[in-house]
Amino acid sequence: MNKELEHSFVELLEKHQNIVHKVCRLYTNNYDAHNDLFQEITIQLWRAYPKFRGDSKFSTWMYRVGLNTAITLYRKSKRRVSTQDFQGVEFKIKAEDYDDTEEQQLKVLYKAVHQLNDIEKALVFLYLEDKDYREISETLGISEVNARVKMNRIKTKLKTILNP
Amino acid sequence: MDELDILKKDWNKSSGEHKKLSIKDIYPMLHKKSSSIVKTLFYISIAELIFWILVNSIPYFYSDEYKQKLEVLYSNEHILTALTVVTYGIILLFIYLLYQSYKSISVTDSAKNLMESILKTRKIIKYYVLYNLIMAGVTLIIGFYYALHNDPNLSRNAANFDNGQMIGVYALLGFIAIIFVIIIWLFYRLIYGLLLKRLNRNYTELKKLED
Repeated sequence: MNKELEHSFVELLEKHQNIVHKVCRLYTNNYDAHNDLFQEITIQLWRAYPKFRGDSKFSTWMYRVGLNTAITLYRKSKRRVSTQDFQGVEFKIKAEDYDDTEEQQLKVLYKAVHQLNDIEKALVFLYLEDKDYREISETLGISEVNARVKMNRIKTKLKTILNP
Repeated sequence: MDELDILKKDWNKSSGEHKKLSIKDIYPMLHKKSSSIVKTLFYISIAELIFWILVNSIPYFYSDEYKQKLEVLYSNEHILTALTVVTYGIILLFIYLLYQSYKSISVTDSAKNLMESILKTRKIIKYYVLYNLIMAGVTLIIGFYYALHNDPNLSRNAANFDNGQMIGVYALLGFIAIIFVIIIWLFYRLIYGLLLKRLNRNYTELKKLED
């Protein structure tokens, strides 16, 4: 692939890298795993880049490749955050933790989101990124109605995790 | 305000613990090796294609005895040629199907479509293995049948067997063949099971949403 293409890709990725960092943050729980997933997403983005036509926004295209890599293609599962590991073992959320300061509240919320499964995390990620249900449903390949229903269930699930 | 809205407020302003990467940091990343399951799947399928082609071909090219037996068995040379063409034709067909299937895997597809393309590719490999296992089974049975009737030593011994003993021999051989097939099958289940565990789990989760 030519140098110009490589250069334009690297510049775009550098500018939008926060999206990839956010995916990694959601799907990994330590520094090494984060870097590992970032690396894999970068490779997948770079491979798909020649076919990127610019008819969608670069960032929108990144959401898709980033999430697909995290939930489908990425193989190094040992370093990844395991849903099972967290359930009741790693930490228990207490009601008093949640009601504390805002910072504490956020910390607990992030931990709660980490307890969700891969697909739920993808929905939460797109929701936090302010994507509408049409885009969420297209990215995941489910219907808009089901995306909405699932999102409501996730909200309820989070409430249950936070207020056991 | 629900929990996710509280999180949303923080989500965009925090960059996490990670430092911003520079252009210089990103360049070398483009040329690192991928550890994607599609790549692993690709290598496994190539290995399987080669393995079964070798299993089918090596005895023919390296054992004159085997060659002679085949030639005696298929005294009509057209049958042997036709069988060879069919065998390699099927292998070529699988290679073509695999190629098409790999080409259809796109990381820019929706999550569900991407998972389906990968599972479809895995299915083609599964059918290829199944085809070879069945062929191996059939060849074993035919080979044994002919050996029993045409091999002078074996047929002399077999002539002394009564019906019960004969059934016993067949049952034993059938049992060994089944065990052999089960072991190979479990081996494949283990390889693909481990490789595609997370994909299968996530695919089931997505399918559940649509039910």
